Amino acid sequence: MGTTDSSIVDSARARPGLLFVVLLGGLLLIDLAAKLVGADLGPIGGSLSVDRLGSNLWNGVVIGLVIGLAGIGLSMTYSILSFANFSHGDLVSVGAFSGWGVAFLLAGFGDVPVRALLTVRDAGSASPGDIGAHILTTPGAILVGLLAAFVVTALLAVALDRAFYKPMRDRDGIALLIASIGAALIVRYLLQFGYGSDRRGVTASVDASNLAFGPLGLSVNAHELTILVAAIGLMLAMHAMLQHTKLGTAMRAMADNKDLALITGIPAERVVTATWIIGGGLAGASGYLYVLLRGTIQFDFGWLLLLLIFAAVILGGIGSVYGAIAGGLVIGVVFTTSTIWIPSDFNQAAAFGVMILMLLLRPEGLFGGVSTA
Amino acid sequence: MTADAADEEAAPASTDEGSSGATDEAAAHAGTDHAIDGDAILRIRDLDAGYGDLQILTDVVLDVADEEYVTIVGPNGAGKSTVMKTVFGLTTHMGGTVEFEGEPIQGLAPEQIIREGIGFVPQNDNVFPGLSVRENLEMGAYILDEVPEDQIETIYDRFPILRERSEQKAGTLSGGQRQMVAMGRALMLDPDLLLLDEPSAGLAPDLVSDMFDRIDRINESGTAILMVEQNAKEALRRCDRGYVLVNGENRYTDRGDVLLADEGVRRDFLGG
Repeated sequence: MGTTDSSIVDSARARPGLLFVVLLGGLLLIDLAAKLVGADLGPIGGSLSVDRLGSNLWNGVVIGLVIGLAGIGLSMTYSILSFANFSHGDLVSVGAFSGWGVAFLLAGFGDVPVRALLTVRDAGSASPGDIGAHILTTPGAILVGLLAAFVVTALLAVALDRAFYKPMRDRDGIALLIASIGAALIVRYLLQFGYGSDRRGVTASVDASNLAFGPLGLSVNAHELTILVAAIGLMLAMHAMLQHTKLGTAMRAMADNKDLALITGIPAERVVTATWIIGGGLAGASGYLYVLLRGTIQFDFGWLLLLLIFAAVILGGIGSVYGAIAGGLVIGVVFTTSTIWIPSDFNQAAAFGVMILMLLLRPEGLFGGVSTA
Repeated sequence: MTADAADEEAAPASTDEGSSGATDEAAAHAGTDHAIDGDAILRIRDLDAGYGDLQILTDVVLDVADEEYVTIVGPNGAGKSTVMKTVFGLTTHMGGTVEFEGEPIQGLAPEQIIREGIGFVPQNDNVFPGLSVRENLEMGAYILDEVPEDQIETIYDRFPILRERSEQKAGTLSGGQRQMVAMGRALMLDPDLLLLDEPSAGLAPDLVSDMFDRIDRINESGTAILMVEQNAKEALRRCDRGYVLVNGENRYTDRGDVLLADEGVRRDFLGG
């Protein structure tokens, strides 16, 4: 026993940061348990309903899936093109605006002027209720909008690559990163020019769209369920593509070793184009789903979301597709459950705190070293 | 480091063999006839090449005949690997010609050179670590529309351990097994010429001679070999002909055994 004890002490001394995190995590768990049973023990404890914890976790998973979906493209372009793409957040916004424009067109055609529909209510005075876009009343429009978000954003991503990144293919990651900030600004303010700068509501409200789940009393929104199904479906499709197609294998090969891919005869430019199509398309789809979740849209929401997407990708191990998904879920859950302890104004800080702890304790990330595979 | 050790271990044995060779051909000196008389599948003439502005190779002449086994040896920095990379279009071509099966190939992209029938196994990082063994092999045939199952079977027959490990990630294999994956990948299109850059580098000493045996068998099945090898004595013993390169220029060219027997070559390039 003596030797075991001393080895625990030694390893704790060797990694004081880890010890601190384990103690803090333990304390939070004890506090959480005390809150759930309603015990008030001075500094810890208090009261927290199981319902609230359940809904926090559920909201965290849903937003985590959206962030993870957006992170896939960011991670792919990082591993295959070797740069951190700061225009990724604005691709998320483009997907939302283009997708919702199409969804509105299908949902409100005839009742509302086309210009108001295509500009996602920037022109005209139609209310979300007039247009009536909702998964329960206009499921076809919502699904076609998702498809449009994917396609339009994929095309824009390829166009940006041809215009900015392809001529700079041999430059280092910093030059490309700065170019991507420029591309981000162009895209963002073109969006503002085309769609205006107001934050506005998008989805209609429909009675009985909340489904209560059994004894837990968990209330699940129909749009949240839509996001769950769509995001997991896209992730599974992504997984199948990466693992079971020639193109996906070539992507993993390029992420592993670009020089060897070159002498193996893998056509690098074709793989890069496919990477932009898939990564951009998923970014667009995630932006569309994010608006479905939040119910509102604004020209710079993707840019603001980019920080969380980066946090998720870094947490998961940058360059890993599966790490991006796992990192998204962790960030999402931390984002929503941290409000149990801290004011909700600070929940982004909690998400970044977890990311920083991760960088300190395991710099390669959750899936670090696994690369795209 | 391990390959250096292997070289030293092999040294006493080769001294014996070398001295008997010297008596056989007491008057023989390594030749300087860099071109061969007959047809060559690879024909390099007056090649100047390097990286960017830095010229490494000057007027290099080199031939590989059909099904021949040719080795390039020489001191560090002689440009041995640069010759291979230039054949494969990975350096800056500055002058001279590279012909493969009668067609000039200098300036072609690697993807086109693969189609011409040349395979290349680079020295380091020559497998995709995150891909399974089978996926590594499939990538070797990327330019084909269909995965050539019969060729994968041929390679599994040649390297049976790869069949057992086919679903394992290449990054988890031992050095010797990784080298087999790298060769298998380069053989997927059944090339007429295989370029091998330091195939014994990084291998444990007891695996080096297995590796050379495998290369012999690849050559015996009809694939010409052009190899750069730091384990120069073993390479010269195995090959048909050898080129000694110094400072990016040809120095000697002759049969492997003649180079091994030559006093000057032994003293200056093979460490005695």
